[in-house]
Amino acid sequence: MKILADIISATILFAVPLLLVALGGMFSERSGVINIALEGIMIIGALCSCLFLRALDDSGFGPMHPQLSMLYAILVAAGSGALFALLLAFASVNLKADQTIGGTALNMFAPAFAIVLTWAIQGQGQTTILIPTWSRITQETLGIVEKDTFLQNLVFKSFYQTTLWSIVLLLIAVVVLYRTRFGLRLRSCGEHPQAADSVGINVYRMRYAGVGISGFLGGIGGLAYTLAAGSAFQSTVAGYGFLALAVMIFGNWKPWNILAASLFFALFKILGSYSGSIPFLPKFENIKASEYIYLMLPYIVTMIVLVLTSKKSRAPKSEGIPYDKGRR
Amino acid sequence: MPEKKKRSFNFPGSTSILASLISIGIGLIFGLILLIVLNPSAAGGAFVSLVTTGFRSSDKFAKVLYQAAPLVMTGLSVGFAFKTGLFNIGASGQYTVGAAAALIGAIQFQLPWYVCLLLALVGGAFWGIFPGLFKALFNVNEVITSIMFNWIGMFAVNLTINNLPMMLAKYWGGAQMDRTANLAQANPNALIPRLGLDTLMHSNYMNTGIFIAIVFAIIAWVILSKTTFGYELKACGFNRNASLYAGISAKRNIVLSMVISGAFAGVGGGLYYLAGNGQYTLVKQLLTAGFNGIPVALLASSNPIGIIFSALFVSYIQVGGDAMQPDFVKEIIDIIISVIIYLAAFALLTRELLTRRQMLRQEEENSAADALPAASEEKDEVSQS
Amino acid sequence: MNDYVIEMLNITKEFPGIRANDDITLRLKRGEIHALLGENGAGKSTLMSVLFGLYQPEKGTIKKDGEIVRIKDPNDANALHIGMVHQHFKLVEIFTVLDNIILGVEPNKMGFIQESEARKKVVELSDRYGLKVDPDAVIEDISVGMQQRVEILKMLYRDNDILIFDEPTAVLTPQEIEELMDIMRSFAKEGKSILFITHKLNEIMAVADRCTVLRKGQCVGTVNVKDTSKQELSRMMVGRDVEFVVSKDEAKPGETVLEIEHLTVPSKLHKNNAVKDVSFHVRAGEIVCLAGIEGNGQTEFVYALTGLEKPSAGSITLKNERILQLAPRAQKAGDRQINASVRQRSKLGMSHIPEDRQKYGLVLDYTLEENLVLQRYWQPEFQKNGFIKKGEVRKYAEKLIRQYDIRSGQGPVTTVRSMSGGNQQKAIVAREIDKEPELLVAVQPTRGLDVGAIEYIHKQLVAARDNGKAVLLVSLELDEVMNVSDRILVMYEGEIVGEFDPKKTTVQELGLFMAGAKRQGANSSTERTANTDA
Repeated sequence: MKILADIISATILFAVPLLLVALGGMFSERSGVINIALEGIMIIGALCSCLFLRALDDSGFGPMHPQLSMLYAILVAAGSGALFALLLAFASVNLKADQTIGGTALNMFAPAFAIVLTWAIQGQGQTTILIPTWSRITQETLGIVEKDTFLQNLVFKSFYQTTLWSIVLLLIAVVVLYRTRFGLRLRSCGEHPQAADSVGINVYRMRYAGVGISGFLGGIGGLAYTLAAGSAFQSTVAGYGFLALAVMIFGNWKPWNILAASLFFALFKILGSYSGSIPFLPKFENIKASEYIYLMLPYIVTMIVLVLTSKKSRAPKSEGIPYDKGRR
Repeated sequence: MPEKKKRSFNFPGSTSILASLISIGIGLIFGLILLIVLNPSAAGGAFVSLVTTGFRSSDKFAKVLYQAAPLVMTGLSVGFAFKTGLFNIGASGQYTVGAAAALIGAIQFQLPWYVCLLLALVGGAFWGIFPGLFKALFNVNEVITSIMFNWIGMFAVNLTINNLPMMLAKYWGGAQMDRTANLAQANPNALIPRLGLDTLMHSNYMNTGIFIAIVFAIIAWVILSKTTFGYELKACGFNRNASLYAGISAKRNIVLSMVISGAFAGVGGGLYYLAGNGQYTLVKQLLTAGFNGIPVALLASSNPIGIIFSALFVSYIQVGGDAMQPDFVKEIIDIIISVIIYLAAFALLTRELLTRRQMLRQEEENSAADALPAASEEKDEVSQS
Repeated sequence: MNDYVIEMLNITKEFPGIRANDDITLRLKRGEIHALLGENGAGKSTLMSVLFGLYQPEKGTIKKDGEIVRIKDPNDANALHIGMVHQHFKLVEIFTVLDNIILGVEPNKMGFIQESEARKKVVELSDRYGLKVDPDAVIEDISVGMQQRVEILKMLYRDNDILIFDEPTAVLTPQEIEELMDIMRSFAKEGKSILFITHKLNEIMAVADRCTVLRKGQCVGTVNVKDTSKQELSRMMVGRDVEFVVSKDEAKPGETVLEIEHLTVPSKLHKNNAVKDVSFHVRAGEIVCLAGIEGNGQTEFVYALTGLEKPSAGSITLKNERILQLAPRAQKAGDRQINASVRQRSKLGMSHIPEDRQKYGLVLDYTLEENLVLQRYWQPEFQKNGFIKKGEVRKYAEKLIRQYDIRSGQGPVTTVRSMSGGNQQKAIVAREIDKEPELLVAVQPTRGLDVGAIEYIHKQLVAARDNGKAVLLVSLELDEVMNVSDRILVMYEGEIVGEFDPKKTTVQELGLFMAGAKRQGANSSTERTANTDA
């Protein structure tokens, strides 16, 4: 039973960054800009927030007000991600550049910058940033007595504020996208910018907003990934930024579907680590390093799913096409 | 007969070269500023190192050539795909599979180097089929497919190598657990010939790899500019509709183009690992080698001959970057390169502006001889009213 | 005292190299339905785009209710209560009717859309004017007629009372056209003022109060519809002396080269067919012209003929080879389905000068010589074992450049993008005619060319015909139609509505058929008027 709790808890933990980043990608693409730079945005968000956490830890503020500090760190992740994303917005909207080129540049820049900055701040050779242990939410934080129950094991194994916020942000995303003026206009820019323009909507501004939001969510996603992956930031998010794009496509650019897709993929990722403990999963005893089979699994499954759903896949019609006001 | 006015900057590609040089210049300046910010006292010396190390001694130069070889290949891979209108972000996976094929041929099957290199080509080509195929048959986005296959390729390679015990260094007496055998021990026949160049340049790195790469670049150039196949590929890349009109099969060309791109990337992997200086390490991180092909291709505007030079440039500053240590981290080079790519976006704009100015000047001449100039879209709009 | 709600005074609008609107004055009375008539290229859409704020005029002023106003963009137009229904609808396909109507002016509280409020207003407007829509239907699922009603409701929702319609009936069925005209009449009765752009005389006579006719960018005049007739309007629209006379011998048509039978092509824009059951033939040694106003199916027809798009039914035979055979499900299942590729059709002797030279006809980033061999690079003359024979290509290019007087900055190595439109066209014409095709399909081959070039190309078309080739010309220029062709087929709304001998008809008569005012018999494809058997 403990295994089950572990699995569910780990699945949720790894689904959170996918969810956040995929939602971010969705906002960007819904406004008409393909955001390949999510990987880089995640790294920048993680970098800045982890440095911030370290600073709070050193200053003593952190251990005294752990969850408040976490909240600030999340805001730092969001803000830095959004700012970084603006570089992509500028290249895509104002310069009307190929959106994949701009994105690739940012993806190369981010990890290199992370290493350089960490090095500069923490000193030579120190390229990992340790995350303070007080960032985790434990039974103690909430004033509950620690007991070995299924529910407690499930919830508290690796409980971070980012998980809570991801649920909140998902709900906000759904409401904003479908019930607000802003959401309606944003979606029109990704589908038919000429129509939006003809009713007086500023397509350029909307696209900046879409990319900015993707930076905001992507930055938090980067922090969430780092928390999930272990105890330190190591200048990488292991391709999660791209995996999130696949989740977004599989989720057909819709928030609830994206949630389902994130959980689906996280589950496959987790299965690998627990393959030994789950009785009905094949163990590949004769094959060495069989862990790689399970490591490949999320990606292979993604491909199969993409093939199967390609018919119903409905990308925002005008994504990737720079909007030129002059052309009517 | 039309008079041909010779203009100063008018040879083919002049605007592109200018734009690339500007991007490089700005990128380097950005790098210098970064150095100054991080460590003002050491910045000057470091920048000088960056810019001059490659030429300082023959062994440093040899290192530049050695590192440039796989860069040329990955640059060709990305560039060739660009010319056909595709973005091959899967070069990393193709590189890895190619490298693995070469190493397996070398260590497991004890084959000579040229066969191994051929295996690398085939391995990369095979891995390149998938994005093209998935796009053509199922209309799945080729960027996502390529990315997925980067990871699948890497894991598959790791899995395979682990299950062929002969491949690992341990088998041959090496101490490390996680890498393939040292080729000098396992199969010296598989090493890319040095032809005495290593002693000539006093460098353990030097081999004929760069020349092999240059040969491939020339092949790529010949395909693109002299064959009907290249003609068709470029037409597809420039204008899908017109190529349809000309009777060219777009789907077939997409797949073929990806296969060739994959082949180039695969050879890149082969050249690097068959040199014997590096052993394939079993990690869970994607090799950056494939991605470095992107700036190489962009700087050269995907021209195969230009790629030789941009690869040499990138390799050059990488060697310079190594020399900046320990004062500075070598990742600063990656920052400079990424800035250069970002500026490539500007470069496109600059190039468009420069071409448009050329066009306007052209039109003024033409309007003397011809009543109506080329205003295409507005004119079509108007004539539909 | 001034009953004009809108006055456009001395409007001049220029684009590089062309004056689309030349000193045009148009006055719209309050509560009237005012038609704007003209051929393609007359300047109608441009003028209305100026009124709607999409373009800024170089000269002239616009007055509303007697006061000068400046309309910089659609928002300004909207503020003045001017609304426009465009020819190509500006609707977001995946949104509902309701969402499309309120986009940009959503009723909201703190940013949250108040849907029930919006719905109430839309339903009320819909009922008041008889504009039947389903507010929750998704745009891509509804008929074109309903889509247009959504566009109209967009205007009404914004309290627009000066309504501009750009070719509103182009995509409607006859019944929907009737409904639209009733709607327009009820708008006018309420005091709204309507401007509608059209080339269809029947509709002008049926619903308009006054009509302004434009020709080649200039205003020919404004008339009361009650006091005029279709003939007079047609004369105003096209009436001018025939400008170019092409000297040519009698045509000597030989055997049939092209046979089209029951060709039906679906439309991408709406659920009707673009080409409806068209049948005709073209013989060797004759120039047949498919005449008509743009948008009546000619484009889709040519794409289906040349293999760029797939029709839904019909058969095409080229020089006794069946290149297309698609049977709709109703016919016998035993028939083989044939659909020859573009390359195959080219090999069989079909040449195509396309309508959109930049989209299909040329690879703009290629050089002139590379474009000149676009249709022939694979032939043994130009390649060996897959390697291009650059010398041969160069020689060939130089020959064509000389022959057709193609002007460019650097000769064969000029990048085509930098060439003028006229010379780009000459290059395409050169390439296609020099192929010596059995069937030359030329769509608007002289568009954008100067007088000399037009004359030259007409000479080439006639020469090809005299050499025993078949030429299918698709043209919107009545001069060209009358002078160059041996036989004229008028296409209207996807059907052939008339067949004429240019020597025996007039431009005015053609105009009537092109505008849908008349048609020959019930099934004009089977009716061949006597004078076409030369």
